[in-house]
Amino acid sequence: MVIKHKWIFKTEAPWSDANEKMLALDTGGWRTERPVLDKSLCNYCGLCALYCPPQCMRDKGDHYEVDLKWCKGCGICAHECPRKALTMKPEGDFANES
Amino acid sequence: MKAKKGQVSVMMGNAVTATVAALCRPEVIACYPITPQSEVAETISSIVADGKLDADIVEVEGENSAMNVCRGASLAGARTFTATSSYGLVYMYDTILETAGFRAPVVMANVNRETPGIHAVSSGQQDLISTRDSGWIQIIVENNQEIADQLIMCYRLAEDYDIQLPVMMNYDGYYLSYLNEEVEIPVQEDVDAFLAPLKKQPKRPVIVPGAATGAGTHGMEMGYVEARYKHWSAMDRAKKKVDEIDKEFGDYFGRSYGGQIEEYKMDDAEIAIVASGSAAGTAKDVIDDKRAAGIKVGLVKLRLFRPFPEERLIQALKGKKAISVIDRSICFGWKYGPMCTELKALASSIGNVPILSYIDGLANLDITIPHIGRVVDETAAAAEGKAYQDITWIPLEE
Repeated sequence: MVIKHKWIFKTEAPWSDANEKMLALDTGGWRTERPVLDKSLCNYCGLCALYCPPQCMRDKGDHYEVDLKWCKGCGICAHECPRKALTMKPEGDFANES
Repeated sequence: MKAKKGQVSVMMGNAVTATVAALCRPEVIACYPITPQSEVAETISSIVADGKLDADIVEVEGENSAMNVCRGASLAGARTFTATSSYGLVYMYDTILETAGFRAPVVMANVNRETPGIHAVSSGQQDLISTRDSGWIQIIVENNQEIADQLIMCYRLAEDYDIQLPVMMNYDGYYLSYLNEEVEIPVQEDVDAFLAPLKKQPKRPVIVPGAATGAGTHGMEMGYVEARYKHWSAMDRAKKKVDEIDKEFGDYFGRSYGGQIEEYKMDDAEIAIVASGSAAGTAKDVIDDKRAAGIKVGLVKLRLFRPFPEERLIQALKGKKAISVIDRSICFGWKYGPMCTELKALASSIGNVPILSYIDGLANLDITIPHIGRVVDETAAAAEGKAYQDITWIPLEE
């Protein structure tokens, strides 16, 4: 057998080094809805960040902001927010944004 | 031979497992008790509680957690030990697959027992067969001394830098688990010395708190293909490694077992019996008797089941006039027993000879001397060109 494949893992076992290239899925591409924050309602409690499954809520000092590269649009942050500061909006609403 | 004479005493199989596992100095142990393995969990817990082994025992609520604990600890670089049987083995099924896929070198004793389906608290190899394609190295031993010796060899094999695979050591529940036999337990310094070469090898990657590493979870598309190919290749390499470690063990301790297979009186044998586990011991006695009666029969004891010892079996069985395989389990969807079905895949290399399949010893029914005697007689008749049954469930014809 002639192997043309270029090895992805440097190790015998499937270990990856996230400092270089983490082998991960671009989960942002799965999203059909995104959380939109009303900053006037947010009291920076951090529950959205605590519950976020892919851990993509970024701490901005006085609120949390979603990292859309990883947000799958699951809506758990909006569901858990006690002040209803997060609302899930369809991706179609943002279709014209670059 | 370099080893000092160890303590010789009469010990139960499960006690041997726990005692020798402790001599291998596992750092993390998670072991949920299940018949017929319970004494392994109990004994190793008391060894740690008595301060004779410095290890963390994680008390788990079931086998699934036990294997998860062992995999996690192994990925963090620890030497681990666990033991299970039957329901426990299948309860950890998803996590034994992950342990293999993550290439975590966990060592586990599996005390063979019939699996769920028909509730049978009794011996049989169906649990081993049910995890055949899990990616673990699977070894079967025959007696209590072999439990002691193989367990030490299992750590050398699993943690070898060229292998990095979990190893499951199987022995017959109810037979060996509760059988008291004379066993020489190696001394601690000799076990340490035998395992010492592992320390000179390159260090495998481990989880480091705070470091940005990912283990085992990134197998999409070509990453999956690559990880599977490397795993598959390591399984192939393991065959030779089993032989090498067995030889080295023999040189050091004065006891060796043939590696992948043990050949008993095979050199001039015209017909061969293939068996495994404690039944292989009975088969050796039968072979001695049949040879005294003029039948040139030999035994191949299958020690390594996964990876399957293709090359060694072909070498041992080529040119024999007929072969019988005694299986202590069944293969749903194939006519023959599981080990016989595997052996038949080698038929084009072995030669066009009768291969007879026998099912025996299910659910604590003994594989007796008369049973194996019958197998030898029928194999000899098949070798002479007489008609034979290609599959026989021995207990149903009793």
